[in-house]
Amino acid sequence: MIRRVAANYAFRSLFRHTRRTLLSVVGVGVGVAIALFSASWVRGAIRMEIRAAVESGAGHLRIVPTAWLDKRENSLRLSHPDEDYEAARSLRYAQVVAPRARTNGLLAFGNRSAGVEMIGVEPEAEGRLSRIVQRAEIEGRYLEASDAGKVVIGKDLAERLDVLLDDELYVTLSGADGMQGAMFIIVGLVETGSEDIDSTFCHVTLDTLNEVTGYSGPGEITILLTDYKHLTAAQRQLARRVPPGDTVLTWKDINPSYAAGIESDRAFTKILIGIIILVVALGIAAAQLAAVLERRRELAILSALGMKGRQVISLIVLEALAIGLGGMVVAVLVGGSGAYYLASHGVDLEALMGGDASFGAVLLDPVVYGDFGFWLIWYALVIAEVATVGASIYPAWMAVRIDPADALRTI
Amino acid sequence: MAQTQEQVLVAAEEVTKTYKTGKVEARALRGVGLQVKAGDFLAIVGPSGSGKTTLLNLVGALDSVTSGRLRVLGNDVTTMSKRRRADLRLRELGFVFQAYNLVPVLTARENVEFVLELQGVGAERTSRAMEILDELGLGEFADRRPNELSGGQQQRVAVARAVASKPKLILADEPTANLDGENAEVLLGMMRRLNTEQGITFVFSTHDPRVVAHARRVVTLVDGRVAKDETKGPSQSADSQTGIVEP
Ligand SMILES: Nc1ncnc2c1ncn2[C@@H]1O[C@H](COP(=O)(O)OP(=O)(O)O)[C@@H](O)[C@H]1O
Ligand SMILES: [Mg+2]
Repeated sequence: MIRRVAANYAFRSLFRHTRRTLLSVVGVGVGVAIALFSASWVRGAIRMEIRAAVESGAGHLRIVPTAWLDKRENSLRLSHPDEDYEAARSLRYAQVVAPRARTNGLLAFGNRSAGVEMIGVEPEAEGRLSRIVQRAEIEGRYLEASDAGKVVIGKDLAERLDVLLDDELYVTLSGADGMQGAMFIIVGLVETGSEDIDSTFCHVTLDTLNEVTGYSGPGEITILLTDYKHLTAAQRQLARRVPPGDTVLTWKDINPSYAAGIESDRAFTKILIGIIILVVALGIAAAQLAAVLERRRELAILSALGMKGRQVISLIVLEALAIGLGGMVVAVLVGGSGAYYLASHGVDLEALMGGDASFGAVLLDPVVYGDFGFWLIWYALVIAEVATVGASIYPAWMAVRIDPADALRTI
Repeated sequence: MAQTQEQVLVAAEEVTKTYKTGKVEARALRGVGLQVKAGDFLAIVGPSGSGKTTLLNLVGALDSVTSGRLRVLGNDVTTMSKRRRADLRLRELGFVFQAYNLVPVLTARENVEFVLELQGVGAERTSRAMEILDELGLGEFADRRPNELSGGQQQRVAVARAVASKPKLILADEPTANLDGENAEVLLGMMRRLNTEQGITFVFSTHDPRVVAHARRVVTLVDGRVAKDETKGPSQSADSQTGIVEP
């Protein structure tokens, strides 16, 4: 359909008004560059948010009892803990494998009490899994493998209970045979800066937890992968190896509201990109329409000679494609450099917000780095071409509608 | 040669064309009957507004009749779809317009080649375009763009382009209107040669008496009707037609 002369025709037509074409190209380029820059920022920020969630204890993947999906009860325990553990350990992408169990309990000291979700952990694995353990300020210390009857709680929780390090907490919790009571010595107070965590954190060793609850084995195995990009593959692999009765979840299943928040960030970028495409397209449509209208007579003659509507359309679309391609190059250069800067230097949010130390605390990194990669080229290509080719539809339609008899009457 | 054996390329009977602009009606053609025969070199003359352009547009399947019957190269153009009319123009008709015939961003050769490309001619279209330009003595202009050609040269390239698609009939609406006398002579000479040597039928409109002098048949339109239809030198006419009647 499009052959050599037609291609020359389309291409050279761009240089009839070189300045107009250049303005169009720059317009497309700048618009798309803004889209690239925003996408780089949002992708970087999302990556960081996900890391924060995943590395604050959620893990990338988690093996849970299948029944947990419906009930979400902390009393459930894995059906095949040993096979599950082996499966997780043999996973190529696994960096940390951390078994845990949970129970709901009531901490009491004097006449004060607070409900908590108590988590039983393997201290060494938990230390490698969780940023909270790695980065929080801990008064006293974190748990050790041999810590029986010891507990580490959040600083705010301690304040609420009015307890200090080395105090003894009375814990009431639901066990296998109903309510159980036990005494725990506080060996550490955790302060992350996040109120959420500091007022709920309550860790004991897994052995301790099972001893007081009367259950056995872990209720979950949380896995941190070497890289986020392996998430889907790792989940699929692990799901194959985990025996029935237990199930593999991702961090999104575990933290659906957090995941939804991130999805809405993504949706926001999509909307932004959509708006940019629309604005760019309107500009291009106006320019292309002018180009078609001033070529009315020429197009009328070609139509008189027998050029088909389809061929007229491909001519106009080809011109738009070329403008889109030019715009893409500009966008990759401009937006790409911006994204590169974001990716290499990052933006220090803490500094931006006046060095407020409470910001994001230990969970979020204060410096957000943009994302930089080959995706920028694809984004630029798709956005630029969708905008320009989309914009050319109306002018192309106008070109097809030119009636040769009518257009040739007036010179 | 018996009249019945002559090939009729265009047969118009009682053709009318009325333009409606809002409430105003312009009756451009008021019942035109005309037969164009293979080998004709026919000038349509008449005062401005007499319907010359309208008639050429109808014959060229660029516009549709209001009433009457019109057959062009065996096709009933009154009932043809837009697409089939475009196809008829592409495959069987050639057009030369008054001015600005050529695509300004393409060279003379590319302008010719483009029509061949639209016709679906393959790789040989470049050499064919060049041959035609050479044949018509336009070879030296092959690589020039229209703005590097004089008006007369542009019109001759336009004729070359019309010829390139090997049409049976070339329609030219005032092809010399923008040319001086000398250039008009050259263009008409070229058209005439194509008519006698290659048997291509020409129908052109003009109001230049010197151009009319080249025509072998002159149809005069007045107020949308054929007022006169004269054929000059019948022997000469018959001569050139014999070769074309039965190919
Ligand atoms: N598109 C149109 N709309 C309205 N009137 C038209 C149109 N085209 C032609 N006419 C009228 O039809 C008549 C014949 O016009 P035309 O065929 O252009 O004559 P010519 O080519 O002989 O000068 C004129 O009166 C003209 O005003
Ligand atoms: Mg006219």
